[in-house]
Amino acid sequence: MSVKVSRREFLKTSGLAAAAVATSKFPMPGIIHRRQLNTVVLKIQSFAHDAIKAVLPDFEAATGLTVQLEPGLSSGPEHMQEVSTAYAAGDSPWDVVSDPDEGTVAFARAGWLMPLDDVIPQETLDDFPQGMRDAFPIWHGFEGALYRVPHEFAVGYFFYRKDLLGEPPKTWEEVAEIGMQVTDAANGVWATTDAIIRGGLTWVYVAYLASQTGGNVFEMDAGTAHAAHFLYDMLNVYKIMPPDALNMNYDQQNQLYMSDKVMFMRQWPFFQSVAEGNTEWFSPEKVAIALPPAGPAGTGSWWGGWGFSVPALAPNPDGAKELIKFLTSNEVAPKLAQGQSWFIMPRTSILNAMAGTGNPIVDAMGLYAENNVIKPRPFHARAAEAQYAVDDAMLQYLTKQATLQEALAFGKQLLADLSA
Amino acid sequence: MVANAENSRTVTRVKTSRLSLNQRRYVAAALLLAPVILLRLFTTLYPFVQTIFLSFEKYNPAFPPRQYVGLGNFEKIASDIVVRSSVEFTLIFVFGSTLFQLIFGIMVASLLNSRFRLRNLARTINLIPWAIPMVVAAVGWRWLFDGTYGWITDLLHRLGIDYSWLIDPVGARIAILIVSVWKSTPFVAISILAGLQGVSEELYEAARVDGANAWQSFWSITLPLIMPLTVTIGMFMLVWQLAVFDLPYAMTSGGPGFATSVLAYQIQQQVATLNYGYASALSVVMFLIVGLIGIIGVVAFRRVQVAL
Repeated sequence: MSVKVSRREFLKTSGLAAAAVATSKFPMPGIIHRRQLNTVVLKIQSFAHDAIKAVLPDFEAATGLTVQLEPGLSSGPEHMQEVSTAYAAGDSPWDVVSDPDEGTVAFARAGWLMPLDDVIPQETLDDFPQGMRDAFPIWHGFEGALYRVPHEFAVGYFFYRKDLLGEPPKTWEEVAEIGMQVTDAANGVWATTDAIIRGGLTWVYVAYLASQTGGNVFEMDAGTAHAAHFLYDMLNVYKIMPPDALNMNYDQQNQLYMSDKVMFMRQWPFFQSVAEGNTEWFSPEKVAIALPPAGPAGTGSWWGGWGFSVPALAPNPDGAKELIKFLTSNEVAPKLAQGQSWFIMPRTSILNAMAGTGNPIVDAMGLYAENNVIKPRPFHARAAEAQYAVDDAMLQYLTKQATLQEALAFGKQLLADLSA
Repeated sequence: MVANAENSRTVTRVKTSRLSLNQRRYVAAALLLAPVILLRLFTTLYPFVQTIFLSFEKYNPAFPPRQYVGLGNFEKIASDIVVRSSVEFTLIFVFGSTLFQLIFGIMVASLLNSRFRLRNLARTINLIPWAIPMVVAAVGWRWLFDGTYGWITDLLHRLGIDYSWLIDPVGARIAILIVSVWKSTPFVAISILAGLQGVSEELYEAARVDGANAWQSFWSITLPLIMPLTVTIGMFMLVWQLAVFDLPYAMTSGGPGFATSVLAYQIQQQVATLNYGYASALSVVMFLIVGLIGIIGVVAFRRVQVAL
């Protein structure tokens, strides 16, 4: 059967349909998010999902909410770009987001996060050591409000091959001396390495070395100069670090270490899980943790990390607050830490729960705390941009495109431009 | 009476309609096309205009206030060493890789146009690099050039040459050009092959009769006849590659230093750090470069046509 429709009727019908669609509550994506009030969407790196899934049944049973886990990006700058695109568009598909330090600093100032002061109970806040709480107004808050609760305590640990070295180098001088003894460049064996690639990693290592010289990379001061000079010497004078470290990411760094080509290195705690996951290669002596070699200002390593925040436009803000309260509580935080080393922090509840378990990260955390190794992360209000500036300036020097003085002056100019 | 009534209705209808049949058709067409045109305008014209407006503002939502700065962002671009280096490498990359893609593309197309066994298989194999996603290719080549594990580095080491490609500014730039040429030459070759197949065999026979050798035939017959196509493909490759981002991002992250940073990478970095005003100004600069190259291309294309 065929139905004849005149042009006039077709236009009328089309116009009416278009008008109906335009005036009805057409299910735009943002509105869809706001309808799912029984679901809480948590955006966090995939490697943490299993640990979170293990504790969720209690939450879901108690609240009647369903938690949906979305994968997050591991790189802070990449995460910032992905999340800020949604926030700037006035939307958020997520209710709770795991944010890096530099992300929270920017997002809180942009008004894209929800204050959490009335959400987190005092007993949870009291569970954090004073040193971490001191950093809350700087890295987790803005203008007196709390916008993020840390779930990670990332310190650059000094991993070394106890099975091959016996004793680790304890000073920069020993790094050079032992380094030259153990390096066999012809066979691709190096004393140390790090991921110093541009794009947010160069500054990590320079800041680590600067914490041992008393420098601040965002000041481009004498301590920064000393740190950069030592790094340059490791690459070009002592030749104990592969030149390709300047184009290396964390995967390549870890791979080199686990290929028995590196004797010691700075790395984040997640490497412990990576190494243990490589069951054919792993043994505790291969990933022993020692104090970072002392520089002119003694030993040091800065800490930073990721934490939970709630976007201001979270589709389910009440559910988000409940979830963040649950995940950071003194009862659940230790369970997360036992499930994934990324969640290990020096919180009283976590340290009590994991005491005597022989967990190498917990032991290292105690060792570092006792020896006053842990230094605060260098702060800059425009952290992400400042980190890029340090990368650009330092790599000019490290790749021999500028002298140290030129690189420092260039870095100072880049950092000054950020404030302009 | 009936006929008169019909005529009366017709007359009445004609009188009430102010548009002719043709005009009504145009109106209908316009109404039907309107949603698509509006969508297109909304997704292209609006962002374009918005980008231009933003380029005159200092706007970072994390650091208010949002303020009009006139040409301030463009002045900053002029004095920004990292951006200047990025523009420089972008142009080197675009012109360098396009030139070599065309040279090798013509060579490969000529080979694929000749008669030999398994020619169709060779044509298919030729396309493999082009079919590989750029990021996959970039990561693969990154490992090949790696100073510790790299196959290329190892090969050179066995020949007595120790060279770390990706940490030397010149080496890293060359490495990226090599990958770009390797990746896109097959596409250029297959496009030029289509042009070569249109060149009449009789012209070559006539040239042979006149005593021309293969090189003279290529130079005097093949090249002039495929020149318009070559210019068109060259223009396409120039403009297309100006927005390159994935290759340097995945291979060097713009390093060493910022030697292999490209304009698109700088824009991405500014967007990631919420500097929307400055990122917009960079985008406008990129648009102007694309426009300038486009104009040069159109002029070059016309000259080639006139010369022919």
